[in-house]
Order: sequence, then C-alpha cells, then structure tokens
Amino acid sequence: MTPLLDIHDLCIGFRAYGQHRRILHNVNLHVNEGERVSLIGQSGSGKTVTMRSIIGTLPMPPGQIEQGSITYDGRSLLDLNKRDRNQLKGSGISIVLQDPMLSFNPVLTIGRQMDDIIRFGDIRTGRSRRIQDRHAHMIDTLQKVQLKDGERVLNSYPMMLSGGMRQRVLIAMALLNKPRLLVADEPGTALDVTTQAEILALLNRLVTNEGLSLLLITHNLGVVREMADRVYVMERGHIVETGTRDQIFAAPKHAYTKKLMAAVPPLYGASVKTTHHEGLKPIVTLQSVTKDFETRSGWLNRVSGRFRAVDDVSLTVRQGDIFGIAGESGSGKTTLAKTIMGLIKPSAGEVLIDGRPLDGFAGSQEFRKHIQIVYQNPGSSLNPRRTIAQQLSVPLKFTGSDSAAIGGRIRDLLELVDLPQSYANMYPHELSGGQKQRVAIARALSVNPRILVLDEPTSALDVLVQSTVIDLLHRLRREFDLTYIFISHDLSLMRNFCNRAAIMWRGKVVETGQISEIFDHPSHPYTRALLSAIPVISAEEDALKPSITKEERAAVLATSTQLEDT
Amino acid sequence: MSAVQDINFASHGLSARQMAFYRFRRNPLAVIGALIVLSVIFAALLAPWIAPSPESAGSFVDFRNRHSPPSWDNLMGTDNVGRDVLSRVLFGYRISLGLVVGVLGVAVPLGVVLGLMAGYFGGWTETIIMRFTDIMLALPPLAMALAITAVLSPNLINAMIAITLLWWTWHTRLIYRIVKAQMNEDYIEAARVAGASHIHILFRELLPNCVSAVAVKISLDAGFVILFGAALSFLGLGVQPPTPDLGTMVATGSEYLPEMWWQAVMPGLAILYAILGFNLLGDGLRDMLDVEL
Repeated sequence: MTPLLDIHDLCIGFRAYGQHRRILHNVNLHVNEGERVSLIGQSGSGKTVTMRSIIGTLPMPPGQIEQGSITYDGRSLLDLNKRDRNQLKGSGISIVLQDPMLSFNPVLTIGRQMDDIIRFGDIRTGRSRRIQDRHAHMIDTLQKVQLKDGERVLNSYPMMLSGGMRQRVLIAMALLNKPRLLVADEPGTALDVTTQAEILALLNRLVTNEGLSLLLITHNLGVVREMADRVYVMERGHIVETGTRDQIFAAPKHAYTKKLMAAVPPLYGASVKTTHHEGLKPIVTLQSVTKDFETRSGWLNRVSGRFRAVDDVSLTVRQGDIFGIAGESGSGKTTLAKTIMGLIKPSAGEVLIDGRPLDGFAGSQEFRKHIQIVYQNPGSSLNPRRTIAQQLSVPLKFTGSDSAAIGGRIRDLLELVDLPQSYANMYPHELSGGQKQRVAIARALSVNPRILVLDEPTSALDVLVQSTVIDLLHRLRREFDLTYIFISHDLSLMRNFCNRAAIMWRGKVVETGQISEIFDHPSHPYTRALLSAIPVISAEEDALKPSITKEERAAVLATSTQLEDT
Repeated sequence: MSAVQDINFASHGLSARQMAFYRFRRNPLAVIGALIVLSVIFAALLAPWIAPSPESAGSFVDFRNRHSPPSWDNLMGTDNVGRDVLSRVLFGYRISLGLVVGVLGVAVPLGVVLGLMAGYFGGWTETIIMRFTDIMLALPPLAMALAITAVLSPNLINAMIAITLLWWTWHTRLIYRIVKAQMNEDYIEAARVAGASHIHILFRELLPNCVSAVAVKISLDAGFVILFGAALSFLGLGVQPPTPDLGTMVATGSEYLPEMWWQAVMPGLAILYAILGFNLLGDGLRDMLDVEL
C-alpha cells in the first residue's frame, strides 16, 4: 500500500545575511491512510519547517528545498504547479493551527470567515454552491466538532468565544472542504489542560469517524501518547527515532528520546520525587485576602460591575517551603502573587511578610531584600535594549550599592546561575530562553532576598531546559535557604518540585496541604478533574490518576461546547 | 509564522548590528540616500573652500555678468546681480542644515520627553500632554508659522522658533505610542519591583526602546524641515537677503522665469536633492532597524 503522504530524503536550507544553514537533514516520514502519526521535537528542531513544507507555506527565499520529495496520494507536491497545488489545500491537506486567537480575523464574524473558506475552496475545485447550501454545510461541520449552537456561533465574533470553542471552530474550518489528511500544529497547547483534553478527544474521534489521517506536530510527549499510532522524534533537523507508539514509549532506543522521556516530570508512580521537608516558622501569611476588580464602561467611565479575582484566601507559607499555587487561567493565581508582592492592594484581608503587614512595608528597600519575583516569560521581563550587566545592576543600584561593588556582584551572580562572564555584555536576544530565565533568576537573587515568587518560571521553556532550570532552583534554595512560592498550571512539575501546595479554582483555594496528600487523595472534584486531564507518558501513571464522574466534572468545569448566555 | 523566520543566525557569529548593517547594505536606495546626505553635509561644511566664487555668498555684485546661463565658468549660471548660483547653493546648504540641527535639536528632545511622560505616568499627565498635542496638531502648520514669524519679525532664528513650536508634537505622538505598547511588558514591573526610580525607568528602560524609531523619524524629518524653511523664506518670512538661502533664491529667481530658468530651477533642484537624500536614508534606516512609524 502506498502511503497517503510520503516525505523522502528531504533537505531544507535557509539562506540569509549571506550565510547558509541547513535546517532539515534527510528527513523521511510517511503517513498511511487512516493513520495517526506524531512528529515530536523541541523548539528549533525543525518540526514547523517540515509542516510548512508540506502545506506549501515555507517562505522561499530564504528557505530552499535542496533535496528530496514530498508525495501526496501519488503526486509529487514539489513538482505540482501552483494551481494544482492550491487545489489540494483544504480538500487534500488541511491544517489546524496552534493559536486559536491569532488564527482569526477579529473584525469578521465566524460565519463570514468559514464561508470564505468554502467559497475559495469551491472556486479552486470549480464548483459553485448556493449560500443556503454553504450555510447548511457550515452548521453540519460545526456539529461534527460538537458545537450544537451552530447558528449562534456563526453570528459571533472570535472574541465572543472561549478559547476551547475557538479551537473547535478552527478544527471545523479545517474540515470544511473534506480533507483526507489533517495536519495539527500543537493543538490545544495554548489552552488549559482540561480544555486540551477535550480537544484531543475530539480530534481522536474525528479521525475515526471521518476516516481522516492525522499528522500531529507537538512537543508534548503526553499528548503524543494519547494521539498517535506511530511516532517520529526529531532533533535538530534529523529524525533520530521512529516506531510505533508502544515501541517508543516502552523501549526508546535513541539517547535523545530517552533524555526527553526522563525530563518529563512524572505525575504518579515510582519515579515521582517527593520533596520531603517541613518548613519552619511562618514567613508569608495571607489572612482572608480578597481582591475585586472594577469593570468600567460607558459614559465618564463609571463602575459598571465587579469581578472577584481572589476570594477569601488564607494561606501560610513557612520558611524553607516550596509552596505551589496551582490553577488554570483565570483562577486568580497571578493576582494572588502580585498581592503578595505588594503590587496589588487587596480589597479586604491582610498579607503578612515575616509577621509584618504590607502597608508601609511594601516597596521599601527592606521589603525588596525580603521578597523578589521571577516572571513567566523572560522575553518580556528582560529589557531587549539593555545588556545583561545593566539589567542585573538595577536592583543593586536602588538598594544603595556603589558601582565597584555592583561589578563584583554581577560576576558572582552570573557564576551562581552557571552563565559565563562574557554574557555580561550581551543583549537578551543573543541568549536562549533557558539562559534568559537564568538571568531573570540572577536578577531576583541580586539583593539576597529570602523569598522568591516564581510565576510559571518554566512554562515558556522546553522540557529539557525546564529540568535544568528546576535543578538550578533546587541548588539555590539549599545554598541560600530560600523560600519559594511557585505558581504554575503544570501539576506534574509541581508534584516533583513542591513540598506543599494550594489548588485555586475561581478565586478560591479549594484544597491545600502536603503535596503527596493532595495528589494521592484529592478531595475536591476540581482537583480530580484537573489531575485526570493531564496527559501522562506511561500506562502506570494513567492507572493511578483519580477518576471523576461526568456529573462531577460538569459541576466544576465550564464546557467549551456552548455559548454562555450573557 | 515567527518560528520559521526567527531562525537564529546569532549563533553563526553575527551580532544584531552586523545583521542590521547587512540589511542596509543590501538596499541600494538606502546607500544612495546616505551618500547624498553625506555630500550635502560636506558641501555645507566645506562651502568656503569648495565654492568657485565664495564672495558670491555675500552682497557681492557683478552687473557685467548678470543673468548669464550655465557655462563652464558658472556651472549653474549667475543671478540678477551676477553672483554665482552654484556658490550660493553650497552656502545655502549651510543655512538649511543649520535650520535642521536647530529645529530638531530642540523639538526632538522636547517631544521625546513629553511622549515618555505621557505614556509612562498616564492619568492626568497623559490627558494634559496628549490633548495639548492634539490641539497643536489641529492648527494648520504653515499658517501658524507665518503668524509667528510675522509677529516676531522675519529672520532665521524666528523661523527656527516657529518650526520648532510645531515640530515636537509628532515626536510626542510617536514616543507615546511606543511607550504605551512597552508598558505591557514585564520588564517595567520588574524594574519597579527592583525599586527603580521613575527617572531610571523613563530614561534607562524605556528610552533605549524608542531610539531606533526616533532615529528614523529624524532622518525623514530633516527633509521636511528643509522644505518648510524654504517655504517660509520663499514667502519672505525666513532668511533675509543677502544671506544665501535656497528658498529665497527660488523666490527671487522665479521673477525671471521662464527665460532665465536656472535662477529658480537650480536652487529648487538643490532642495529636491537634499530632501530625496534624507528620505531615502530614512526609508533605509526604517528597514534596517525594523521599526514602524
């Protein structure tokens, strides 16, 4: 049987700034009819270049196909003329993009954007349909992605839909012209884990029901395990390993695959590392902290409503703790972190740092020597136009160090986070993501704080880089006797990193305690829903995940299939 | 989109500066613009030494030679009192560039500081600065400049003051927009958490992120300031004779059109040449530094 899609010996190079660089090296990959294939690799491995060469959106120049062929259904894609190739778009090969927000035009209704896809598809294949037929077809397709409220969805603008619904609409758009091969680029990764689970289940069902073939491109091994029959592992433009899903997960052969597997923090089972240590005296205390945000609108910006972001939260973090705060987007965890940092004033309740209330203390020099923060995205938290040394010097300068002392301290700090001294005069864009995050950690440590608030410090990083940053954080904690408040949506990571945790849901803390207690005996249905949705990389972990009934799940999670009545 | 285009060439030993310079070099128009601007600057600086007849810059008269067409002796011909037009054009560039430096030297810092403050502090500061800017932008610029110079008595300094008063607004708007976008970035909050002062955040954190946009804007502005100054002089409200100014020369020369065309056309072409240079350079810088205006 000839495969539906066959990439043979593909080499792609890029030429820019008078230099040449090969991005793909002799890539061989095929997808059979009805098969689900995953291409896994870290950022920069070449998986996006591979995808774009398949759908024909590789920018050329600077890109250049130097060798090899891509065959779809017996026809060589690289030799087709533009017209024939365009005909395959949507009807032969279709794509589901990663970011459900950026993929829509915000000023057109969903209906208009879907209709365009059908009309242009029809023009390419030389058909014409009446508007009523197209409309019926759109409603049908939305049914397939479980959006029953089709009529209302079509009349909505993208911003009116939730993230999960937008992802569903994107999938529906890919299905409109009845493709045979669906290429999905990181589907659902921009969404919360519970929504992602729904999207993955939907894709799986579509592949079976519609007889599609799926090429899934992702960096998440857990997703691959749930979504693939066969797996390709890509590293720096090379396919380093391929095999059936069970082969790859049960017995990875290549060193890189093994490294990748080992870097994924396990959720359950024997390999989980439990951080056992008891914190000492309380260092951060929250007493019924509540934060309301006012929404303003209309004439003269009057207050039109209130939104409670943090609702009556009481917590105690002890000295030496690695205290996790988990929750999905909108659960209030970042607001809580900013309240602890004194950046947001609580509407009610009190935050005590080392027994002292924040009023009058927050923002002082002494306060800054108590508590510092590391942000999620070092690309945003480092100033792109300032050298590393300049950025590291800021906290020192404003706590009264003189310039001679600052120079010495910067050298110490770079050494502390394992960066070479030569980086002092570089700009952030010359560093990789992991290195940038090390600089951000060094900056937070520069004034010797006792507490670090870590706001999703590794979520922008690849899993291999993540594990090195986590190791660094462990080492620093031991060396300087630090207390961490670790905010994350990644529960697997939290399980292995923290000793205590709190789970937040809609502004409230629904569960708090020892990390092993929360994971082994989750009491709140939301915790169970969250844990059961996490894609894991072994059957053993799957078996240990808490189970949850449909009713319980529906009670705590907003569905991504229906429009809210507003 | 970005994943493919952001392939990291830094690891090949190219610094950001080298990549920017590469983009500039690959843009022939930008290089031509830079060469034109350099030639104008050299002409202005070296005018007393390279002008064929330096005395033509003053109130020199040579009535035997008046209205002579372009020839090997007078490449651009002579004017109504027999002065060499080429020499006067070279000296005229001194006035034009002096105007550019004077106007932008005051208007740009003023506009940038106001823009930084409006974007960073927000609230009332923003409302007052930006609404005042809007009012200034609503006034027709040439009419305003005419009114100001007419009141203050027409000369080069007053023309400079008039143009400056109108020019800072564009920089305020540009910087304001950039700062507003940067305010969402975490590095501003990180600087606050680190205890940085307002002055530090304004001039050390935000200003470096505005520099490339301002550089491009200055380059594009320079041409317009020359044009604006020439327009004022043409209307008799700028530089007064006998000082050689391109706008004044076009005005006097236009009386002898079309027969003795060179007296108006040559200084006109000189204005065109300088503006073209600055605009090409500005466009090149914009591509090179990758900024949106």
